Amino acid sequence: MNSLRTRLLVWLLALLLLAAAVFGWASYTSVLAETEALFDYQLRQMALSLRDQGEIAPDQAGALADEQFDFVVQIWTEDGRSIYASRPHPELPARALLGFADVRVGDLTWRTFSVATRARVIQVAQPQPVRRRLAAATALRSVAPLLMVAPLLALLGGWVVARALRPLRRLALDVRARDAQSLAPLRADALPDEVAPLVAALNALLALLGGALDAQRAFVADAAHELRSPLTALKLQLKLLRQAGSDEAARGAAVEQLTQGVDRAARLVEQLLVLARAEPGAALTTEPLDLAELARQALAELLPLASARGSDLSLHAEGAVPLHGDRAGLTALVRNLADNALRYSPPGARVELRVGVEQGAPWLQVDDAGPGIAAAERDKVFSRFVRGAAHDEPGSGLGLAIVRSVAQRHGATVALADSPLGGLRVTVRWPSTAPRP
Amino acid sequence: MRVLLVEDDRMIGDSLRSALRGEGHAVDWVRDAQAAHGSLATEHFDLVLLDLGLPDGDGLPVLRALRARRDATPVIVLTARDAKGDRVAGLDAGADDYLVKPFEYDELAARMRAVARRHGGRAETVMQCGAVTLDPATRQVTRDGQPVLLSAREFAVLEALMQRPGALLSRAQLEDKLYGWGDAVESNAVSVYVHQLRRKLGADFIGTVRGVGYYVGRPGGGTP
Repeated sequence: MNSLRTRLLVWLLALLLLAAAVFGWASYTSVLAETEALFDYQLRQMALSLRDQGEIAPDQAGALADEQFDFVVQIWTEDGRSIYASRPHPELPARALLGFADVRVGDLTWRTFSVATRARVIQVAQPQPVRRRLAAATALRSVAPLLMVAPLLALLGGWVVARALRPLRRLALDVRARDAQSLAPLRADALPDEVAPLVAALNALLALLGGALDAQRAFVADAAHELRSPLTALKLQLKLLRQAGSDEAARGAAVEQLTQGVDRAARLVEQLLVLARAEPGAALTTEPLDLAELARQALAELLPLASARGSDLSLHAEGAVPLHGDRAGLTALVRNLADNALRYSPPGARVELRVGVEQGAPWLQVDDAGPGIAAAERDKVFSRFVRGAAHDEPGSGLGLAIVRSVAQRHGATVALADSPLGGLRVTVRWPSTAPRP
Repeated sequence: MRVLLVEDDRMIGDSLRSALRGEGHAVDWVRDAQAAHGSLATEHFDLVLLDLGLPDGDGLPVLRALRARRDATPVIVLTARDAKGDRVAGLDAGADDYLVKPFEYDELAARMRAVARRHGGRAETVMQCGAVTLDPATRQVTRDGQPVLLSAREFAVLEALMQRPGALLSRAQLEDKLYGWGDAVESNAVSVYVHQLRRKLGADFIGTVRGVGYYVGRPGGGTP
């Protein structure tokens, strides 16, 4: 019963039958009432004519004996002796009530009409079921055409329903013919008004899915492309290690290079994972955090790098900076900004981080003394795998892409500007967390 | 061979240069398109290894400019771009070969030898001149069928001479094939290597035209 077509057909037929039943019942009752009056009139006429006539003519006796109407005529003398009976009906009472009466004998009800003259009593009777049968037959005749066209109507209804549902069937075929690759919108032309919104909603969903799929494909393609360089380096470094043979100095240098190559590949993969988690669509778990504390921890991890470069890495926080967000993502954001600042600044330079709250809105600022980023380039550097001009730092090209992704997921903005230290100033501003007045 | 390496990735450039030097090639390494343009316009190289994704633009214009000057220096493109369209574009821009990263060094070396062979118009993989043979693939040199041990630089000098028997190569030209920029060129190093080769292959195997240069085989072409 899940088919719309079957359901519609069943209901259509049920309504048709109900209509036939109501129609039949109405005509039955009206015909019954009419025949009652007619037969009563007939009974009365027959009795009165018998009274006036005195005798029963032979042709009349024939009519009286008509099986179809089942009339029974009885005549008694006034002392109660039966002098005539058209058919002997012992069930009928020997006494008659004058005028119309319903007489019940056994399980049969009789309609009787009796009239009295000076010398005798005349009673004409007829069984009720005869009347009902005639009424029912008439009613049936009036309903019969309706019942006869019912199958035809059902057939016609089925055809109409199938025709009306054709767009749905076509839509189903269209959807079924698809695979995971074909996310083109469904055809929306010539659709009934009831189905069009469904198709529009489906098309909107398909467009969303297509966008997400494209983004993921682009990400995977980019990632695969970017992994080629570290892998090429690794292969060459392995070759050098083999080439070094028993030359200890050459082996040591080759192992050192290979180690750097592996570190670089590992870092790229790690950054890719961080970015994949920060991409829109990934699950985000937020918790109340202190941005100042988070920044302190992120910087602690970078101290080895800072001291190796002789850089002066500092954090300025005037107190707790409450923020609701994703701990892993925000840590990656702070670490990537500080890491970039350290790597792109000349050795021994200052890198300053500041965190604070302004009217309930947390902010983070990173200043470095590196080459900065030209104003025209500032939009580009947030894209994946875009590195600045040639430099010796083997960056993954993902740092700022991660920063942007994490910031966007937190509703924060990232702005690039010139730093008073001579390099780049990155400012991240989160939306206000203060309760609205 | 003197090789120009155009590669912006520090690690790849570093390792590739070391590996190529290990085989006796002189390697000059530049890291952007502008430097590549400059080097190719002013100096002669036996082979160019060209990366396409450079920080200051694409590598293909460098190649096109080279071919536009009717410069036939062999060029092998080394790139991460593996799409068929990229490979076709690279070869059609004038590349002699196209190698997709990550590649095996051995394959690169083989392709470099193949490109050099084609460029020199040779069909045979083993060079022969008189009783001496040189196999660039196995880096083996024989004299009368007996293997001769050579240092990487001796091999490089011999290979340069045997590529075109009879052709004269000046001391400066030979030095070019041995030393990249920044390599300390020992004075009369070439004379020293030639001396060593004569000792190992026979005193009259390498001829000298005083003041002009060295040759193997008959001067002017052909083998003795």
